[in-house]
Amino acid sequence: MEAGALSNPVLRARRNLTDRIGDPLLRGLSGLAAALAVVVIAGIVYEVIHLAWPAIQEFGVGFVTTNDWNPVSKRFGAAPFLYGTVVTSFIAILFAAPLSIAISIYLTEMAPQRVRRPVATLIDMLAAIPTVILGLWGILVLGPFMKDTIEPVLQSVFGFLPIFSGDPSAFGYLTAATILTIMATPIITSVTREVFETVPGDLKEASYALGATRWEMVRQVVLPYSRSGIVGATILGLGRAIGEAIAVAQVIGGATLINASLFHTGGTLAAQIAAQFQNSAGLQKASLAYLGLILLIFAVIVNVVARLIVQRGKIKDIDVTETEAAAL
Amino acid sequence: MTRHRFKEICVSKRLLGALIAALALTFAIAACGSSSSDSSSSSSGGANSPLVGAGSTLVAPLMSKWQSDFSSKSEITVTYGAIGSGGGIEQITSRTVDFGASDAPLTAEQFEEADAQGEVEQIPWALSGTVPAYNVKGAPKNLKLNGEVLAGIYLGKITSWDDPAIAKLNPGASLPSTKITPVYRSDGSGDTYAFTNYLSTINPEFKSTVGTSTQVKFPTGVGAEKNDGVAAAIGQTDGAIGYVGLAYAISSELSMPLVENSAGEFPEPGVKSVEAAAAAVSKIGPNNEISLADLPASAKGAYPISTYTYVIVPLETEKADEMKKFITYAIGEGQSYGPDLDFAPLPKQVVAAGKTAIAKIGS
Amino acid sequence: MSANPHALLLDRGNLKRRNRFNRAVSVASTSAALLAVAVLLIVVGSVLLKGVGALSWHFLTTPSGLFGDTSGGIANAIVGSAIIVAIAAAMAIPVGILIAIYTTEFAPPAIAHPVRFVLDILNGVPTIITGIFVFGLLVEGNKQSGFAASVALAIVMLPIVARTAQEVLGLVPKTLKEASHALGIAPWRATVRITIPTAAGGLITGSLLAIARVAGETAPIILLSSIVGQGVLTDPSQALASIPYFIFTSSETPSAEAHTQAWAAALVLIAFVLVLNIVARAFYARSRKRMGG
Repeated sequence: MEAGALSNPVLRARRNLTDRIGDPLLRGLSGLAAALAVVVIAGIVYEVIHLAWPAIQEFGVGFVTTNDWNPVSKRFGAAPFLYGTVVTSFIAILFAAPLSIAISIYLTEMAPQRVRRPVATLIDMLAAIPTVILGLWGILVLGPFMKDTIEPVLQSVFGFLPIFSGDPSAFGYLTAATILTIMATPIITSVTREVFETVPGDLKEASYALGATRWEMVRQVVLPYSRSGIVGATILGLGRAIGEAIAVAQVIGGATLINASLFHTGGTLAAQIAAQFQNSAGLQKASLAYLGLILLIFAVIVNVVARLIVQRGKIKDIDVTETEAAAL
Repeated sequence: MTRHRFKEICVSKRLLGALIAALALTFAIAACGSSSSDSSSSSSGGANSPLVGAGSTLVAPLMSKWQSDFSSKSEITVTYGAIGSGGGIEQITSRTVDFGASDAPLTAEQFEEADAQGEVEQIPWALSGTVPAYNVKGAPKNLKLNGEVLAGIYLGKITSWDDPAIAKLNPGASLPSTKITPVYRSDGSGDTYAFTNYLSTINPEFKSTVGTSTQVKFPTGVGAEKNDGVAAAIGQTDGAIGYVGLAYAISSELSMPLVENSAGEFPEPGVKSVEAAAAAVSKIGPNNEISLADLPASAKGAYPISTYTYVIVPLETEKADEMKKFITYAIGEGQSYGPDLDFAPLPKQVVAAGKTAIAKIGS
Repeated sequence: MSANPHALLLDRGNLKRRNRFNRAVSVASTSAALLAVAVLLIVVGSVLLKGVGALSWHFLTTPSGLFGDTSGGIANAIVGSAIIVAIAAAMAIPVGILIAIYTTEFAPPAIAHPVRFVLDILNGVPTIITGIFVFGLLVEGNKQSGFAASVALAIVMLPIVARTAQEVLGLVPKTLKEASHALGIAPWRATVRITIPTAAGGLITGSLLAIARVAGETAPIILLSSIVGQGVLTDPSQALASIPYFIFTSSETPSAEAHTQAWAAALVLIAFVLVLNIVARAFYARSRKRMGG
């Protein structure tokens, strides 16, 4: 607003009181709001560290590798939950990423025009389902299905692998990972879709002109162009999976040991906190806050890296609004 | 992106207004519609703020009855969150609630923490038991078990239902070879305390490996939250055995085994056998804690895993009057509702000790 | 890639194989999409089929019963959720829009970028951690309250509202602002009376999506508003019932009636969330068309 009416002293003198207050007021208020966001984030970090402090003092960094959670002997460690978080999230992404890429290819290249919007909307709806409902469905529908059908089949075919040993169980790593896959897929899909849509049309047409089939065009043009976007999208999905507390708490069984079998019950950082925080006191509560600190660091790093990758890639002008809207 | 239209400004304002009106209308309907058909249990008559408590799920069925009955008689509303004994201890320690309810008496350390903001009083106000419950296809009802077998199961040493140790207690019964899945409470639980207290008394290895507490690390098994969760987990798994509050076991129609007591009998879990256990122990601890885990051999017909459940209340509280009224009601009139809900009445000396403790509140 | 980037396309007479492969990929990607849609239909279908049985006027207008009593309903949960979410929205939406105004109108890039970064971080904080934060802030040493739950939900909503508002405000054509300055309209007035109404569609979208997102949030509620009294309570200084918490606790009981009630409550919640989502997207699509996006 350097140029314009305000540089005219006559007009400026005529600004009434409201305007004279209004400008700085708006600026001040909005600046305050922005400062508030910073204060909140700082507050969160401070509070978590503050609550975790007794455990940090007691266990130090060794907490991260201690494989024990014993309220009687007061020995606590993050290892069982780190293991659970890594295993469930890794499996979730392992399935969600290729699935999402395939869906995105379908939505941007393969599907007939009229079908694209409705199907895309339906898949975005999957992201909108509250996680407690997915957990409810997990307990009452998916869990029994895993136990009675999927896990026995896996065991009969791959039973020699330690990850498929042990008794089939409705609650455990595998059920949790499945739910996380369902949660991560729409997020990865919507970001990947946006990325695919920014691929310049002329590149695609050049490929067709050279005689490529649809798939070959995708493989030669769309995928390489979108590489960093896909990576970013996957990491965003990973961030979502890591932080999920409720649905996982409902189906993972709440065990505090590491177990090689995917059928076995286990725990993740977020789920353990959700399940135990209200119940615990003293060192145990501080240890849960310590788990929260680890989770926070993990989740923030993953989320930030994801956005940096998505933005830094060739996708400068991507309209992130709908992506956010869908991703959230 | 340079094409733009202006006339929609008016349209969007209208739509904005309509949307806000619609949302406001929806909320209004929800709030009005439901508060007008407000059902019985809340006594909004009393201008008092409610007594807020949290903790034991064992006492929750009786607590519900107390809540509705007490509020109709005294205009004092009691709000209770059944989050587990561990949660009750934690919440009262940080004074986020007015009273805590726990089946596990506070340890010295917990007293220290709770007393940090002012001394707390611990008063037994109900009497029940923690019973094992099982779900095994093909197994007889009223299977006979004892402390050694239960300890073995939860230590992961006895792994199938046709184990010789179980067969020995049940001669002639046909036991399936199903794998045993022990279910335990993953949250801080007074039932866990009662159960592990009993097993630690019977079995030294259990005591040194697992120990006694509201939350222990079991070497094997599946964890579930709260009594409800454990009952659900047992019901869903063939071959499962777990421990739940007496009231839950009876109302859930899970099979309850008969557990051998110190007199060598196999009493049926219920109000009578719990009452017999309480009658056999007259010692009341300095903080009103009473352990029923180590019953003498002379206790006939006594249920071996009976447990008292306590209310924990700060002596200094703004709601001293209401608190005193409520606890007096609970250990007095409230006891009459117990037997129907599978709670045994408090023995006289326990009531007397309770009255002494109540007098201290607010002083 | 290979030495000749178009090696794949050279005519080696394998057109049939290439076409067949193309067809295979087409089938695979279509199946993937169908799988995702199927899962959605299965989940929503389960909720619909299993919940519709318990859904009744009585269910919606009666508060939940005490322990073990499944004769009640979710009136208190509906009202509690409505109040908690409304307060959260009242806090988060204005603040979010203000932040967006700040970053698009006032802040130099040196400040706007860190602010966006901070919003990114806030967005990535797991909601259970937000719950712990507000617990330490408002509940510890105090007591649970619906208001504390609202604060936590507001924190979750903030980055969503702010980011969508940022995008939308950025799309408002500069010519509008320049014209207003030329006419001597004070900048603040231009922002409030011109920029915001123009962007209103997108702002509403962001707000509705944020509301839909937190209506189903359970994690903070467990820590902040879970010990609730009986009857339909409306005072946010006390803990209030909420639909997600009702579903959560009912899902962990062994009783089949409680499960059916959980499904019914889930049905109400899903209906609310999905309708909001659809409305929000419709708004968004319309506002994008309007601003020539």
